[in-house]
Amino acid sequence: MSGRWGRLYNGETTIDFVGRRWWGFIASGIVVVATLFSLLFQGLNLGIDFEGGVAWEAPLKNELTIDSATKILEDNNIETRSAKIQTLGGGSSERIRIQADDQSAEVRSAVQKSLSEKAKVEVAEVSVSSVSSSWGRSITIKAIRALLVFFLLVSLYIAWRFEWKMAIAAILAMVHDVVISVGVYSLLGFEVTPATVIAFLTILGFSLYDTIVVFDKVHDNTGRFGASRVSYDDIVNVSMNQVLMRSLNTSFAAILPVLSLLVLGAGVFGAVALQEFSLALFVGLLTGAYSSIFIATPLLAIFKSREPKFRALIGQRSLKADMTTLMRTGSSVSRKQSARIGTDGVGSTTTPIDAVTAVLSHPPRPRKKTRR
Amino acid sequence: MRRKLLFTLIATVFISIAAMAGNLIAGNKPSLGLDLQGGASVTLEPKGNYDTAALDVAVEIIRARVDSIGVAEPEIIRQGSTVVINLPGVKDQQRALEIVGRTGEVLLRPVLQSGFKNTDATTTTVAGQTTLPGATSSTLAGASTTVAGATTTVAASTTSQPASSGGLGSSRRPMSAATTTTTPVVIPTTEAPSTTLGSSEVVATTTTVAVAVPPSTPQQDISMTNEPSKQAILEGRDGRVYFTGPSQADGQVFANDAAAQINNGSWVVAVGLRSGASGEAKWNALAAQCFQKAATCPSGQIAIVLDGVVISAPVVQTANFSGSVQISGDFKEAEAKDLAKILEFGAVPVRFDSPTAQTVSATLGKDSLNAALISGLVGVLLVLLFLFFYYRRLAIVVVGGLAISGMLQWSAISWLSQRNGLALSLSGITGIIVSIGVTVDSYVVFFEKLKDDVLGGKTLRNSASRSFDAAWRTIVAADTVSLIGAVVLWFLTVGSVRGFAFFLGLSTFCDILVAFFFTRPTVILMARSKWMNGANMFGVHARHKDEGIEVSAGSSTEGVVAR
Repeated sequence: MSGRWGRLYNGETTIDFVGRRWWGFIASGIVVVATLFSLLFQGLNLGIDFEGGVAWEAPLKNELTIDSATKILEDNNIETRSAKIQTLGGGSSERIRIQADDQSAEVRSAVQKSLSEKAKVEVAEVSVSSVSSSWGRSITIKAIRALLVFFLLVSLYIAWRFEWKMAIAAILAMVHDVVISVGVYSLLGFEVTPATVIAFLTILGFSLYDTIVVFDKVHDNTGRFGASRVSYDDIVNVSMNQVLMRSLNTSFAAILPVLSLLVLGAGVFGAVALQEFSLALFVGLLTGAYSSIFIATPLLAIFKSREPKFRALIGQRSLKADMTTLMRTGSSVSRKQSARIGTDGVGSTTTPIDAVTAVLSHPPRPRKKTRR
Repeated sequence: MRRKLLFTLIATVFISIAAMAGNLIAGNKPSLGLDLQGGASVTLEPKGNYDTAALDVAVEIIRARVDSIGVAEPEIIRQGSTVVINLPGVKDQQRALEIVGRTGEVLLRPVLQSGFKNTDATTTTVAGQTTLPGATSSTLAGASTTVAGATTTVAASTTSQPASSGGLGSSRRPMSAATTTTTPVVIPTTEAPSTTLGSSEVVATTTTVAVAVPPSTPQQDISMTNEPSKQAILEGRDGRVYFTGPSQADGQVFANDAAAQINNGSWVVAVGLRSGASGEAKWNALAAQCFQKAATCPSGQIAIVLDGVVISAPVVQTANFSGSVQISGDFKEAEAKDLAKILEFGAVPVRFDSPTAQTVSATLGKDSLNAALISGLVGVLLVLLFLFFYYRRLAIVVVGGLAISGMLQWSAISWLSQRNGLALSLSGITGIIVSIGVTVDSYVVFFEKLKDDVLGGKTLRNSASRSFDAAWRTIVAADTVSLIGAVVLWFLTVGSVRGFAFFLGLSTFCDILVAFFFTRPTVILMARSKWMNGANMFGVHARHKDEGIEVSAGSSTEGVVAR
């Protein structure tokens, strides 16, 4: 348990997240721009539930079965993955209902003809009609309105529970996640179904949840370091390193089932319906975990550093051993000391002398007790 | 303290098992959605003349009603000129027809009496009893009889009568003078005298109202359904129950111009009347009875009924209306617009022929379900393995917590499947599986905090309770956001988004419950046991001890016990 993993495990890493914030911002910026371009020029491939399409209904008899109907669709180059094939029973005779993306008049009648041949009935007995979207415009409007209300309430809640700058950072990070997830759908041309929308909503929830856990730590530490002159960058860095293991664990635990659905469910068992849903979730969970670390908190650091209290300390960051000390003692080391410690470098091999001085210089125990 | 924790723990486990057992015994089990199990498909074919816009409105209204009966995710589409409604999990075709109901009919019925349902879930009373037709009113003397009606009033535009300006009914006139303000609502206290009436026991389930009618009433005339020619007991959208007379007019007395507008600072609905015998005359005949509080309309209210639900029951303010009607009251903007939409729909209705119902097969089928379940199970097992590897014995708590949460969720879903027609679609099931990974977070937050404290040199025994308090604040903060999302989406959306909101809310709620009533007592109790403290729990060691005193321990960590 020593070395890098040991430090990670014990929450003793000293990664300078804030100092590297531009890495995250630039990476995200590129992806977001690519996404927006894709959305603009390629758009989303909306499924039958959103755009409507065409429906055939035929008596289910003779050689017409679900399998042969699927074959007919394939022969006519219709995407069977998004088609819905159902049997209708309970009336006088069984019927088959096939819904697919909208098709040209020729394809419509070609399928109609093939179906009637298989069922050995007159062509007129196979009905062809347009179907509307089941996910009507009003559902979309309602959902969007609900989301706006949700954003507003959540912002108010975060502003009340923490502070409004955190609310902005959290919402921005969440928008980032959803944009990227939607972008992946647009870039890869996957069909958007109601299940996809649900996946996006799940992502949204996860992203916010993850961010709030991180912010809770930052909030805690802001109080803890309140008395001493510690730059906000430092507070964020310390908090990030403290919750890093939590973030990684949680993300890993959340992604495992999704990965299993994707690899085992869609790959091995071949359940196509699972594939797109879990892919959306997979991408979303990854970006959600990433954004809480590389987008939300660095953004927060930028917002907060401009406050009068922290302005004088902009650019001051305790790195490596300094950060370790900060984490343990709850106060920044003096400048002189920091210069001395800073020279000996690596955080893990903290020399005993440093650690002891740090402990002695500011015994943390009673403080901690009253705070917790 | 210890006894209290133990009690909490045992009670939680007991309640979860009891909930599950109860559902198993009752035979409740989760029903599956359209994609996995199929259901019933109702086809409505419009008859007569209609336009597509009206059909779209019809689809909206059908969706609103089908959505209101439960949490299932129905599918409503226009296929050609027909409207197809697919209901998940409904096996019985007759039941499907009942759910869809006769659609698109707006009836105007005189209100004989109305009252509130008691909040008591099983028995409700129609209170504020006045007379049931045929019953002698003297027997009811004890009961308070004032039903001053709904918050709505009807005012006529009787004042300005320059008939030259386009003829009767053709123009919407200024409604200044005759516009009355809202009558104050007088609602009798409902609980007290109802039993003396004998007539008032109304047993209400979610959808049907059954009334024990006293022998003196002409029982054959009362319809539980919205049969136009009979008296009917109907539920109102405002939570009241209305006893209404036979329908005397339908939505077609109104012109197709209903609009919500602001009048004197409050929302009103204005609608024109069609001229002639089938419009204005018919309405006025009804209005006159109600204005005079005749025997056929003693309450003075006209119920506007859409598909068996009283949308509004305004009190009539004049005997004679010409041209247009204004309904005012304590409307919110949405309510006024809604009423306007319904009136508009009633005016140009799409009549549907007797609907047909069929069973419909699943689009995805059992293969997808099995794939989801097996791979989901494997995924959860992987999560648990990971947690055991990482948190060692403490991961037992997660297994227990997931079991408790699983039992609670299963019980809730089974129960609602039976009661409210909830149906699990494939995305719902995968959503639940994914939510397991997400809810593991609350354990991780707690355990990491615990680890932190132990690293800081505290004993496990001391830090367990305190760490939970800190973790609890984080969990509640994060879960509150999820709950806000669930509630907002539930109330403001329809269809599958609403289904999502339900599962999000359910899993979050279970997360909070389990964290407090299971994880907390279990971990605190475990922290006191020798078994936990004697073992290498996290593989962590007290930091200060290592570096401050046993300097070399930093590298030889494995197996050092946290003390």
